[in-house]
Amino acid sequence: MSALPKRILKETERLMSDSPPGISAAPKDDNLRHFDVSVSGPGQSPYEGGIFKLELFLPEEYPMNPPKVRFLTKIYHPNIDKLGRICLDILKDKWSPALQIRTVLLSIQALLGAPNPDDPLANDVAQHWKENEKAAIEQAREWTRMYAQ
Amino acid sequence: MSRSPSPTDAPAPKSDPDLFFPASDSEDEDYVPGQDGEADSPFKPTPRARKGASSSGATVRMRSSPSADVKPTVSRDTRAVSTDSDIVPFSPVKRPAASSSSSSTGGSSRKRPSPRRSPSHAIPASFTGGYLGEFVCEGWSLSKGKGYCTPGSKISFERPKPKPVNSVEAESKFADRAKEKVGPARLVNGKMVHAKVGAVKAKQATLGSMMAKKAAPAPGKKGGDKKAPVDQIIRFRNDRGFEVGRLSVGEAGFLVHLLDTGIISLAGHVIDCPPVLSTGATILLSVRVYLTREAFVQVEKHDRANDGSFWQEQGETVEEEGMRFRKDALGSLFSRIGVKPIRSNALLLAQKKNGKAEINEKSLQHFSDKPKLASRGSSPSKKSDSSGSKEKDKKSAKNSDGEEEDEGEGSGDEAEKLDEGQMNEIDSIYRKAQQGDNLLEETTPPSTFLYTLRPYQKQALTWMNARETGDSSSVRESSLHPLWEEYAFKKEQKPGEPIEIDSDNEDVDPSRKFYWNPYSGEMSLTFPTSNTKARGGILADAMGMGKTCMMSSLIHLNRTGDVSDESLPLPETDEPPSKRTKFLQVTLSNQWRAVPTAPKPAAAVARATLVVCPVSLASQWHEELGKMSEKGSVNSLMWHGNDRVDVGRLLAQEGNKRVDVLITSYGTLASEFQKWRRNKDKANYEGGSIYDHEFLRIVLDEAHNIKNRTAMVSKACYELKGQRRWALSGTPIVNRLDDLYSLLHFLRLEPWGHYSFFRSFVTIPFLAQDPKALNVVQYILESCLLRREKTMRDRDGKLIVDLPPKTVELQVLPFSRPERLIYKHLEDRAKRRFIQMDAEGRAMSNYTSILAMLMKLRQCVDHPLLVLSKTTEEDGAEDKLLDADTGESTVSLRDMIAKYAGAKDDPDSTDGEVDSAYAKKVLQEIEESGTSECMLCTSEIFDEVLLPCYHRGCQDCIVNWIGSCEDQDKPAMCPMCQKGPIAMSDLRSVQRQRKRINPITGRSTRAAVTNGNGKEEGEGKDEAVTIGKVDLVSSTKLRALVRRLEVLRVEDPEMKALVFSQFTSFLDLIETTLDKAGIRYLRFDGSMSQSQRATTVEQFGKPSKEPVILLISLKAGGVGLNLTMANYVFMMDTWWNEAIEQQAIDRVHRLGQNKPVYVTRYVIRGTVEKRVMAVSARKTALINASLGGGAQKDKGASLADMRKIFGLDEDDEEEEEM
Repeated sequence: MSALPKRILKETERLMSDSPPGISAAPKDDNLRHFDVSVSGPGQSPYEGGIFKLELFLPEEYPMNPPKVRFLTKIYHPNIDKLGRICLDILKDKWSPALQIRTVLLSIQALLGAPNPDDPLANDVAQHWKENEKAAIEQAREWTRMYAQ
Repeated sequence: MSRSPSPTDAPAPKSDPDLFFPASDSEDEDYVPGQDGEADSPFKPTPRARKGASSSGATVRMRSSPSADVKPTVSRDTRAVSTDSDIVPFSPVKRPAASSSSSSTGGSSRKRPSPRRSPSHAIPASFTGGYLGEFVCEGWSLSKGKGYCTPGSKISFERPKPKPVNSVEAESKFADRAKEKVGPARLVNGKMVHAKVGAVKAKQATLGSMMAKKAAPAPGKKGGDKKAPVDQIIRFRNDRGFEVGRLSVGEAGFLVHLLDTGIISLAGHVIDCPPVLSTGATILLSVRVYLTREAFVQVEKHDRANDGSFWQEQGETVEEEGMRFRKDALGSLFSRIGVKPIRSNALLLAQKKNGKAEINEKSLQHFSDKPKLASRGSSPSKKSDSSGSKEKDKKSAKNSDGEEEDEGEGSGDEAEKLDEGQMNEIDSIYRKAQQGDNLLEETTPPSTFLYTLRPYQKQALTWMNARETGDSSSVRESSLHPLWEEYAFKKEQKPGEPIEIDSDNEDVDPSRKFYWNPYSGEMSLTFPTSNTKARGGILADAMGMGKTCMMSSLIHLNRTGDVSDESLPLPETDEPPSKRTKFLQVTLSNQWRAVPTAPKPAAAVARATLVVCPVSLASQWHEELGKMSEKGSVNSLMWHGNDRVDVGRLLAQEGNKRVDVLITSYGTLASEFQKWRRNKDKANYEGGSIYDHEFLRIVLDEAHNIKNRTAMVSKACYELKGQRRWALSGTPIVNRLDDLYSLLHFLRLEPWGHYSFFRSFVTIPFLAQDPKALNVVQYILESCLLRREKTMRDRDGKLIVDLPPKTVELQVLPFSRPERLIYKHLEDRAKRRFIQMDAEGRAMSNYTSILAMLMKLRQCVDHPLLVLSKTTEEDGAEDKLLDADTGESTVSLRDMIAKYAGAKDDPDSTDGEVDSAYAKKVLQEIEESGTSECMLCTSEIFDEVLLPCYHRGCQDCIVNWIGSCEDQDKPAMCPMCQKGPIAMSDLRSVQRQRKRINPITGRSTRAAVTNGNGKEEGEGKDEAVTIGKVDLVSSTKLRALVRRLEVLRVEDPEMKALVFSQFTSFLDLIETTLDKAGIRYLRFDGSMSQSQRATTVEQFGKPSKEPVILLISLKAGGVGLNLTMANYVFMMDTWWNEAIEQQAIDRVHRLGQNKPVYVTRYVIRGTVEKRVMAVSARKTALINASLGGGAQKDKGASLADMRKIFGLDEDDEEEEEM
């Protein structure tokens, strides 16, 4: 195991000491590149009140390559599939090494508040969202109650 | 030894038995079977001894008495038989009857140095021989008819007449000296003797000798099976002297040699036989075996000191072979008779159980299949008197050569190298051997020694002093020599008496005890202790514990040798060396002036100490000795370089100019040795070489320099004359047990200093995983080696050395993209080539080129430009060829590196010009913001570069980002503002100038030295920021180093650091970079003269207000130097052998260091370096010879290592984690 780059150490330190509101992240004991994350659903969103668990992994190439993030908690969201995978540009081609774990998690939190059914990952959910947004939101709320509380 | 004249000539000249049978012998009259009146019955030495004394000196008398008396016999015998020379093929080795001829060579063999007799081998004058035991065996009748023998009749045994053989093995040395025709040579108790071949008159053509031709080679002889057929016949006669028959071949096999060398004699009686004999009828015999006095005559070790010649090439082979036969034969004999040792080393017993024979076998193999040296066997000396069968000549020459001590290939045996586990075992042996060391007394050195020794150093002084003066009271107790077994002579039962059960218990009469060494074949009547004559030993304290200091104190303590006890005047040195050498410049007056002026007794005392050390340490020794010594007490002199003064004169100086310690280097010694070897035998040789002087003490510093026993430098050290020998080395065993051998050989620690001995007893059992072998090593070490480690504690439980902590950090760095591309290219090419060669089976023959490829890879890891500098036209061509062959990328390495270096001299880089308006704007912005975090690594920006969008970051980070994007085929955008795409050429470097004074040049240097077309803002206006083109010509490691140094400079402004690399060209590049960074540095490498080196070290040691870096080439400065003023060490690349790196680190982490030591090792991820490390960690130390400058290549099994290094081993597929 190579030494952890200074940047990761720094980021971790900052995440632990000064985490953004509604977000907490802590590395696992056995692998400091592997984080347990929990994000609370943003207000005014169907996910409000829910605490969503995620996992985040920093690949060897980080920060040249983006971290890998996945929802562990079941969530009803057009950009998140049932395996928890997230469709978010900064986690893919829009990644920039200037971004950090903190910014990534904030972006994910923001994604919860602004679902984008036009760029779907979970097609059925996106379909539902487009056809009957209200029912879909209700469904999301229902899931949040069921799984995230 | 039974011998009889030919029956045809003198049929059964049975003499009165009373004549030959010793009065002291038992009642058994049959004892001595010899019929020849002159047979050297060992049982009557006394009257003969007197006779022998007249021709040989008194010292020799006792030893040679059994043989000295037989002169007439031998000459007659050989004369009698030499007519057969044309018809009887005869093995040179198996020449019978030679035992009696030792003195017959007269003057010629007298020149052979008489062995130094150790008192332990003295044979009581009254001792004549001893009854060993009897066994029953089968014989075949050679006679027909009645009355030859009946059950119970006594018989005597004899060997057929010696056939004259042109002694192919006789060495010209002897032959030449004798200036006469020399008869067959044979080994008698380790000495080469020759029967004189005089005028030959007597004829002899016995049935026996005719049959001898047909006799099959003995099946029992292990060593003999490569030889020509050997006469294996032992005939027996009845008490009337008629020949009755012969022993069966199987029985006789092991007896032949013993009979021939006269170490046993036989007697016996018939147990059963047919009433009427027919040829070939079986006769059952009981054979009694007696060990003769001869058997206990000490076997002569070749005496190197006495024998001025190059002993390894001469005088060794026959001796060794003879001893081996003897050893094997005695072994067989003992087991045949069922003689068991009363006392034996547990080790020996254990080995017997699991097959001593196997070990013998192996060692024999080792001896006999080294065909490589066969060519040397045809050296003229060996043929000087050969007229016999050429084929035989060749065979034996080949065979005997194989036995020489130096098998060039032998040490290349990969299997002998120790793996990690084995090294650990060695460690534990060290540890065991150290037990009790801290109980040694402390000795305070004389007041002329100015330093204060630490307690453990005082203990060492005690130990060393004891080793030198032979005061055994304070030396650790010497135990029973592990190689010897104790036996007892049996009481001979009288015929008809009831068989007495000889209970093998302890209360055997001591006078009946004898001792046998089953490994050397030696026998002794006195208890063999492990006591050695060697004075000196191995001081193997871990590095940095002050070995130099301890040795210096010893030099102070023991100033003069003791003449009496050491018996300095060697037989060959007719005159004291100093006497001779004193006048060597005035040759003409030598004759008449030498005698009156030489102060004889004083001159005979060797007084000087010779210190041999690596050249880089010579001045350090000199200085340290000066510092430690009261003025005028010990004067040292460096003796090296071309203007070497004559040693003899030098050392004869008295008064102020007296020289007590002569310091020289291994290299000097080796060249002196070659010179001396060339000249010493010339008629007009005048002496005056270092080899003509006897030193009081020889000290080898960093003694592992002689670990290769075949290297010239090792031989040069072996040949030095000195009374006391010391080897200093922190790593006496570098990576194979044989390393130790060379040291033991230098110390002349008997018997371990014999290669065959060491090998068959240590190396081979060890390789056979016999744990007992380690006991032997431990035993050896216990007796002659002192080792303490820094972590050891003294009696009171305190650490004996209190060194500050040492932190080693391994930094695994990723390549930058361009570097990686270049490296990959190189590596792929190397791999392809290697696979190709490997597949064609040419890998080993192209070893050098593979090494060169590896070398390139390793250089590339340091800095790609290192490879460029080495890339020749040929390489380029080959490169293209290869690429064309495989149809792969046509980008040649050259282009690639050119691109890499391109930032520097790109001709069309006008667009790289920074327009001043832009620059001003940027500068302003930068000034305002000051230094900040890099957006990528979140640390302070290092090697700041500027993107077109004014965003800034570390050069490494930005370059990596661009590279990473290129890898993924996506445009590289500014990480901050996503503007772009950005290219490498868009980057601009930002240099923030820090003002510093360069103390070397004394003027202020500008850190912002930008390259060629870079623009320096406001030179002279002292503006602080400059913008220029990015200098990409650096390397990951280099940048990491500078980065670290920059940090350290802030943390510790007076920091001193060592930077090691094995490539001086890399050191050059580091210099350039340090120049730019304005860091002061010094350089130490192999190209510097001794005085330059000394100045450098001195400079480095001076207190300084700013950081100083010492750039050291690993090879030149890796050992010995004392650089405790530094406490940071940077290892820029990996070496094949971890021990070497350890050595380098210990330049700093040693006595005198009082700050914590930080070591940083740089390794690039995913490159050859890591695999080298893995290999080196296994201690297989690939190619240490060829890379270490030795002539020898360890081709052996390193192919496997090669595969690993090339990453072709599936096991370690690029696992990136460290």
